[in-house]
Formats: sequence, C-alpha cells, structure tokens
Amino acid sequence: MITLRDVSVQYRLISEARRSTFQEYIIRYLKGKRVQTRPFLALRDISLDIDEGESLGIIGHNGAGKSTLLKVISGVIVPSGGTVRVQGKIAPLIELSAGFDHELTGRENIYLNASILGFSRREIADKYESIVKFAELEDFIDSPLKSYSSGMIARLGFSIATEIDPDILMVDEVLAVGDAHFKDKSKKRISEFRNRGITILFVSHNMEEVRNLCNRVLWLDHGSIKMIGDAAEVISEYETQQSHMKAGV
Amino acid sequence: MVKSFREAGEIIQYKELLRNLVLMDIKKRYKRSALGFLWVMLDPLLMMTIFYAVFSGLFGASVGNYTAYVMSGITMWQFFSQGTKIGSIAFISNRALINKLYLPKSIFPISVVASSFVHFMFALIPLSVIIIVSGTHLSYSMLWLPLVVGLIFIFSLGVALAVSTLAVFFHDVIYIYDVLLMAWMYFSAIFYPLSILPQKVQILMSLNPVYHYITLFRACLYDATLPKTEHFALGAVFAVAAFLIGWSIYYRNKDRILFYL
Repeated sequence: MITLRDVSVQYRLISEARRSTFQEYIIRYLKGKRVQTRPFLALRDISLDIDEGESLGIIGHNGAGKSTLLKVISGVIVPSGGTVRVQGKIAPLIELSAGFDHELTGRENIYLNASILGFSRREIADKYESIVKFAELEDFIDSPLKSYSSGMIARLGFSIATEIDPDILMVDEVLAVGDAHFKDKSKKRISEFRNRGITILFVSHNMEEVRNLCNRVLWLDHGSIKMIGDAAEVISEYETQQSHMKAGV
Repeated sequence: MVKSFREAGEIIQYKELLRNLVLMDIKKRYKRSALGFLWVMLDPLLMMTIFYAVFSGLFGASVGNYTAYVMSGITMWQFFSQGTKIGSIAFISNRALINKLYLPKSIFPISVVASSFVHFMFALIPLSVIIIVSGTHLSYSMLWLPLVVGLIFIFSLGVALAVSTLAVFFHDVIYIYDVLLMAWMYFSAIFYPLSILPQKVQILMSLNPVYHYITLFRACLYDATLPKTEHFALGAVFAVAAFLIGWSIYYRNKDRILFYL
C-alpha cells in the first residue's frame, strides 16, 4: 500500500556553473545574500494511491519527474511538501549497479549489495545459491567485478534485487538488460512477481512493455499528473500526443 | 529529538551493512598486496619506526620510556586522524548510493571511523610488542583502556559527522581540515614532552581533546600510575560535546545532502 498526498519536490538548482566555495559564501553572506539558487519543481501536488498487488506503469517525457517519483516513494528524497506512506519492503531496481564495488568479487558484492538493501547475513546466505544460479555466473563468482562484462554486472544486479522477496518492486528502464536470452528470463520473472501479487512500479519509454505488464498507467508531465487510469486508454492518449508533437515539428 | 533516535535505531537495523562496509574496506585495501592482511600490523609498525628514528635523537633523553611514549602517541593519533580524514569525504565518495537508495546516511561516516578503529585494534599488537621489547612493562591500568578508546571513538565520530556534512556544502572544508590535522598533530605532544613547551602553551594544551586521550592512553598502557581523573573528565566532556555538535550538524542537513552532492 502506497499513499501520496499533495507531494511536491523542489530542487534547488545552483544557478551558476561553478560550485559555491566557502569564500563566495562568506562574501554573499556579508552582502546579505545566501547561495544563489533557483527553485525547480520536480513534482507538484501529486496525490496517488497504489494498492497492494497493483502494477502501475509510469510514463512521460524525459525530465517529467518519473525517477523523482520513485525516489520519493523509496525514501531517497524527502519531499518538500506533502506526505508519503509506504507499507512493505521495497526492492529498487532504479540503477542496478549503484551498490557494486568493482574491486570486490561477485560473491562479496552479493553480500554487500543485499546488506545495502537491508538484509541480514542469514537471509543473504539462504538466497546466495539461487542468486548466482539465476544470474548464470557460477564460473565467475569469485572473480572481481571489474573483469565482468556490463551484461554480467546487470544480470547480477537484477538477480539480487529480485531474489530477495520484496513487497514492492521498482523497475526503472531495466528490462533492456543483458542478451536476448536474459531479457526473456527477466521479463518472465517480473510477470511472475505480478502474478504473485507483488506491487510493481514500472517506469519505461517502451509502451509495448508497459501495456503488457501494467493494468494502470500514470502519465507525468512537467512534474504533474497529466492523466491516470486504465493502461490502454492512457497509453493511446499519450501516443496521440507524441505523434502530434512530431507532426508539429 | 525523537526522530533523531529513529535514525540511531535504523543504524542498528542496518548493522549488517555497517559490518560489510568495514570488512570490505579492509579487504579492499590489502587485497592486491603480497603480504595481504599482515599490512594491517606492518603499516603502523613502519610508521612508528620512522617517527622513532626521526625524533628519538631530539627528545629521547628528556622523556623516560621514549620508545613507548612516541609509539603509543602515534598509534592513538593515527586512529583519530585516519578516521576523520577519510571520514570527511564519506558522503561525497558514496554519492552513487545515496542518490539511488534509501539508507540511514550517517552509516557512511560511522563505518569509516569504525574501520579506523579496527586498524587501531590491530596496531595494538605490534605496539605492545615494541613496548615490551624496549624494556618497558605494560601496566595493570590497561583495564581502563576500553573506556579511553571509547572516548576517542565518540570524539572521532562527532568530528567525522560534522566535517563530512559540511564538506558536502563547501568542498573547501576537506582541504581546510587536512591542514588543520597537520597543525593539530604537532600540537598534540606526540613526539615531544609537554615540558618543553612554555608554561602558557601548556595551559592551552588542556583545550586540546586529543592530548587528553593520548595522555590517558599512555597512562593505561605502560605508565604505572593510575590515569588522572581530570583527563578523564575533560576527555569525556569533549567527546560528548563533539558528538552532539556533529550529530546535530548532520541531522539538520541530512535531507539536503542529496541535492548538493
């Protein structure tokens, strides 16, 4: 169960190209001005209820606030206004390799990464075998990650995040992971998750995938909800607008 | 204040991550070397030897047990300076994670200080050997050691939290702190006896928290006299104050850290 009420996120963009230094800060402070920032509303007044077991697709142009919305739900960003309530354990597939250390072996990374997601050593040890098996990395697991290909790293990340039984799965454009064989496997696993009643938040630009996976779709536009509802309806409306924009150019 | 305890609770909940961060840091540091983990003890041993070689000629005659004096001082200093120096970039170097996943962010500076603590514990082994070999007896006051180490741990944690948070907003802090550490080391009576300083400066020394920890450490390790209460009292005041200040600087700014990384 995820509930958002009037959630707004305001970034403060530093309006100069250069970072502010201590010296500049003091000078500005003495002049009575604080660091020069320009407010930027990444999300405005989002109210949203996501039920348990629902698969919600999130679409919109680049910079519409899709990733920001996922970050607010997972708690990475504390909203500047409004309230967020989340029940259940979240597995964020926002970026698969964020928690990896390339100097460490695959095995060490599994333990490190799972503990980043908040799991105990026992829980990780129980899942270890199936993580390695799903990622098909049995022969490489004791080599450092820097000797892996990018596809192998992505496989490992996907395998860890999905093997640990989350209540809520966040997927941000990751289905384009690995080769065709692994892509099929990961799509199948996400469908399984949906069938098991796990809540899925799916951000994608691929309307085909969104249509297949989600029953409800949220369309974000410049940080606001443009439309929310039945997947087929929202997607067709979105695609109409997209083709208008193309025709306009 | 209540919310502040919640983050402390979360750190306990994430203790497995804390353990892994410390473990992986140590593993990574020595992984590619032929002697591997031995470096955890060799490194402080060589450090101590260099300092001893440089300074024993200068002050050796004026301090009894000079070997024990200088080596224990350096060991304690290294714990504090390594922990807070590497700690100063704790948020900056973990930008990718902080940006992508929810974590109690204070876990990063805490893990750096904890890692420095583990190094310190291992350095105690060569240190004890050196003290015995140099003909000084270890003292029964060693029973006080956990308390002394606990104090400098809390002090280091407070400094690391403050410096790492400020460094996110002003990168200059990293460089300023680096220089400050250098001056601080020379002002901490590590390789010279306090008595060579003018009377006025000696009084000033009681405002240096690290001086109290080092003095207590020496008293516990090899000096047969019981550690002095005034050092304990001042050391404890500095530790608690540093921690409260560091924590509140961190806590007030923790939700803004992300936007400035």
